[in-house]
Amino acid sequence: MSLIELFLIFTKIGALLLGGGYVILPLLTSEFVEKRALISHDDLIDYFAISQSLPGLIAANISMFIGYKLKGKWGAVVAMFGITSVPFLCIVLLASILGTLTENSYVQGALWGVGVAVIALIMLTVREMWQKSIRDFFFYVIFAFALLGLIFIKLSPIQTILIFTVFGVFYKRFFEKTRKGEKE
Amino acid sequence: MIFLHLCLEFFKIGLFSFGGGYATIPFLYHISQVYNWYSLEELTQMVAVASITPGPVGINVATYAGLKTAGVLGSALATTSEMLPSLFLVIIVSKLLRKFSDNFYVKSIIATLKPISCALLTSVALGLLKPEIKDLKAMVLLGVLLIMSWNSKKDPIIYIIISALVGLFLVAFSHFS
Repeated sequence: MSLIELFLIFTKIGALLLGGGYVILPLLTSEFVEKRALISHDDLIDYFAISQSLPGLIAANISMFIGYKLKGKWGAVVAMFGITSVPFLCIVLLASILGTLTENSYVQGALWGVGVAVIALIMLTVREMWQKSIRDFFFYVIFAFALLGLIFIKLSPIQTILIFTVFGVFYKRFFEKTRKGEKE
Repeated sequence: MIFLHLCLEFFKIGLFSFGGGYATIPFLYHISQVYNWYSLEELTQMVAVASITPGPVGINVATYAGLKTAGVLGSALATTSEMLPSLFLVIIVSKLLRKFSDNFYVKSIIATLKPISCALLTSVALGLLKPEIKDLKAMVLLGVLLIMSWNSKKDPIIYIIISALVGLFLVAFSHFS
């Protein structure tokens, strides 16, 4: 795979990112895991989880992780410009006419459809992560409490990530120790 | 001088916004208050346009805000500045992952991030249900999409195109009848 090819794949993904960045995981799975087998499913899921916990845009972060994995530093740079190129051009070239378009009833109809599809794709993303993770007691506990915290206490994403990562590492540390103790 | 401020402000957004594109909007609101580069009405317009063009909303809004502030050069600088912190962080984290992939803490952190990530996404989906799934036709469409996609390996973009077309037809139908 050359840098140019990588740029073109990310340009394509950038153009297909309708309804925001959340639909990136199914698109990346289709391009890099299923069609080309360049990245393993497990790596992709790891990158997605890490991308959500880093600052910045999730779609850009995960694209750069893949770029770096495949072609090093320049791969990451190419992924960054690839994923941005079409969205950037659309805004620069079309911004002036798009303002009035958002009020058109047909455009709103299409957007309504895209909005529903995005929910379906996010649900598929959750399902994919769910299936590809080792689901032990630990996984369910973290998932349940993080979700409750997000919904009922209105924790922000960064608060959720910090609180539960610290909790998770302590928990694992504790369990590792007792396990070692059992073996002795 | 405006270019320097633009770069700095958007670099800050890239460094401090967690949780995806919509998390950048409070920062953009703050900018509109401090700098008078664009008004609040223009920001609302930007978010609306950003959600109908392809791409992550965060990139689109940054591009649009840069364009309003300082033309095409402004939009290129704003978008690039917003993504630079991510680029550095991703490269650093990738190197650390490669070096310490067997480390206990690295493995525990990744194992913990997966359920957290699922929870974050689930809360996003639940949050969208209320504003997006308002009536029976939306429920039916969502149900059909989920059934169609559940066990198939089709390109995900197909579902977006189908739903957009369904939306178009529904509008056309309501105009006709």
